[in-house]
Amino acid sequence: MPRLSGRRALQLIGALAIVAAIVAFYHRALHVNNTTVALTLLLAILGISSWWGLAEAAVASVAAVLGFNYYFLPPIGTFEIQDPQNWVALAAFLATAVTVSQLSARAKGRTLEAEVRRRETEGLYSLSQTLLLSGSARTASQDLVSRVVKILGVNTAAFYTKSTNETFRWGPENQLVADAQLQADRDEPLIDAQKGFAIVPVRLGGQAIGNLGLAGPLPSAAVLNAVAYLVAIGVERARAMEEAGQAEAARRSEVLKSALLDALAHDFRTPLTSIKAAVTSLLGGERSPADRELMTIINEEADRLNRLVAEVLEMVRVEAGKLHLEKHPSDVTELIRATLAEFRPAILDRPLEVRLQQGLPETEVDSDFIQQVLKQLLDNAVKYSPPHSPLTISARSGEGRVIVSVADRGSGIPEAEQMRVFDKFFRGREHRFRVPGSGMGLAIAKGIVEAHGGRIWVTSEPGQGSVFSFSLPVYRGEMVS
Amino acid sequence: MSAGKILVVDDDPQIRRVMRATLVGHKYEVIEARNGDEALTRIPAEMPDLVLLDLNMPGIGGLETCRHLRSGSDVPIIVLSVRNTEKDKVAALDAGADDYVTKPFGMEELLARIRAALRRAPTSPDNVPHALATSDLQIDFDTRRIRVAGKETRLTPKEFDLLRYLVSQAGKPVPHRELLQAVWGPDYGDEPEYLRVFINQLRKKIEPNPAKPKYILTEPWVGYRFASGGDSPNQ
Repeated sequence: MPRLSGRRALQLIGALAIVAAIVAFYHRALHVNNTTVALTLLLAILGISSWWGLAEAAVASVAAVLGFNYYFLPPIGTFEIQDPQNWVALAAFLATAVTVSQLSARAKGRTLEAEVRRRETEGLYSLSQTLLLSGSARTASQDLVSRVVKILGVNTAAFYTKSTNETFRWGPENQLVADAQLQADRDEPLIDAQKGFAIVPVRLGGQAIGNLGLAGPLPSAAVLNAVAYLVAIGVERARAMEEAGQAEAARRSEVLKSALLDALAHDFRTPLTSIKAAVTSLLGGERSPADRELMTIINEEADRLNRLVAEVLEMVRVEAGKLHLEKHPSDVTELIRATLAEFRPAILDRPLEVRLQQGLPETEVDSDFIQQVLKQLLDNAVKYSPPHSPLTISARSGEGRVIVSVADRGSGIPEAEQMRVFDKFFRGREHRFRVPGSGMGLAIAKGIVEAHGGRIWVTSEPGQGSVFSFSLPVYRGEMVS
Repeated sequence: MSAGKILVVDDDPQIRRVMRATLVGHKYEVIEARNGDEALTRIPAEMPDLVLLDLNMPGIGGLETCRHLRSGSDVPIIVLSVRNTEKDKVAALDAGADDYVTKPFGMEELLARIRAALRRAPTSPDNVPHALATSDLQIDFDTRRIRVAGKETRLTPKEFDLLRYLVSQAGKPVPHRELLQAVWGPDYGDEPEYLRVFINQLRKKIEPNPAKPKYILTEPWVGYRFASGGDSPNQ
């Protein structure tokens, strides 16, 4: 049986004292009729029940009945009652006193309950305000835990977040919620009101975010669930904002990288421009054969440096996924024709066969880039096959794609190297020191083809030659610009 | 006598040195500007015959300089730039440049382009119309004056040459290459983007509705055709 608290005892004594005072006052000081005495006592009991509660009012009622009977109902000075009318009066008094006490106490209880709800609602509102103002996910989590303690009036709170496996705590050290309990996966809240201890799962849209542990005087389960939900929203919101911030930072870094590349390209090409302009200007005049030869070397090497700068830049763009493709419906036959128009003068000594399947569908490509790929493959074929040996260009359709191939009759590529020819800076063993090149051309071609959603590959028979092929997407009638 | 006065606008002193040495060797008079602002202040006083304009400069950039320049002058502008994408070329031409050369360049090529820019398109009196008049378009090719819907309109020399060539071939489709060589010079022919930009600018200036041109018509895969709207040019 719970012991009476000191406050309760004082209130009970107070209730008895009030009844005694009223009885003594009417008995000794002021003589009035019994009805007045009874009404005064009822008034007092009403006050006691609404200020202090039902128990105090009940005790006061009993005391009032006894006192009223003893001092005011004849025969006065005894607990006996002669007149049956007075029995009725006494019974009516008792019934009224008890009912009034009950009604008043119930009203008071409701008020108290409403007050608790109001405070809880205020707490939740204040918590949701905090959520909207917090910054990063980490500071938001720490902030939330301290707010939960302050707003719910618990002693200590801890929030465990699954994504980073971190625990944020607030409150006295000796009342910590145990780690193991906090970190366990749970579907239902664990609430122990007796010990003042609860662990509530924090979930959003069915996804577990973590757990919230509380110790101390607990609010209702409904409030606990609402708090857990608010925490979930707050943490997720902060995380989403953080991610958006990181994406923005990554974007800015990309912009910076591009600007840096452009600056680099400019800085390399400006001196090359002076060198080339100067030497070609000299070449334009009358020169001795020896001078002319030396100036031609300077001119060619300036061109080579410029190509290298271009290739490095292109490689970086391919790798960063920053090729700006402007795709249009294009006829592969036309692309091959345009490439050859430019390339043919350099390979006039080669027998060239062009095999085009009839009725090829249109492809959806950036024609400048695809011409670059074709040029690269032709360039390779010329470099790695004997002078005057024939070349073949063919185009056919298959599996919803158009496949373009360039074949040579060179020495072919050993099987071990076939996989690696598209790697950046890879040079075949046999040709490494004989054929000029940076080892970037095929890697760039691969990047361009793949950026179109196509594939590039090589088949080769050592001694027989190589066939480089790439596939291009067929135009479907919807332009993606 | 000098072959012409050329303003070289470039922030790189070495490039200006090379240009000066070469151009002076080819009898051109050379003046220099280190940036766009300097170029814009020098031009009214010096009245150059041609501007070689770098794009990547501190201060107001090359494109902005080009636009300013074009708003008050018909001087031929050749842009020199390390950028080589079609987008960059179109942007420069849109800003009013007549030609675009990618750095680094061979001097022979640049000299050829300079000669082409300084030269007016050939005009042989036999096949060139003297005037054209329709209800809303009047052109006097001898005085180079144009009135569109009664209002005097200004064309740049390249725009004017382009229009004159198209009118001289009125009714016939003119292939891209022929048009480029007639207006820019015999070294040209592979610059369809030049035509796209200049035809656009011309349409904006002379067509009542540039989106639905009635004078300068596109001949798909071939070139352009001038339709005089029923009126035949006066020979």
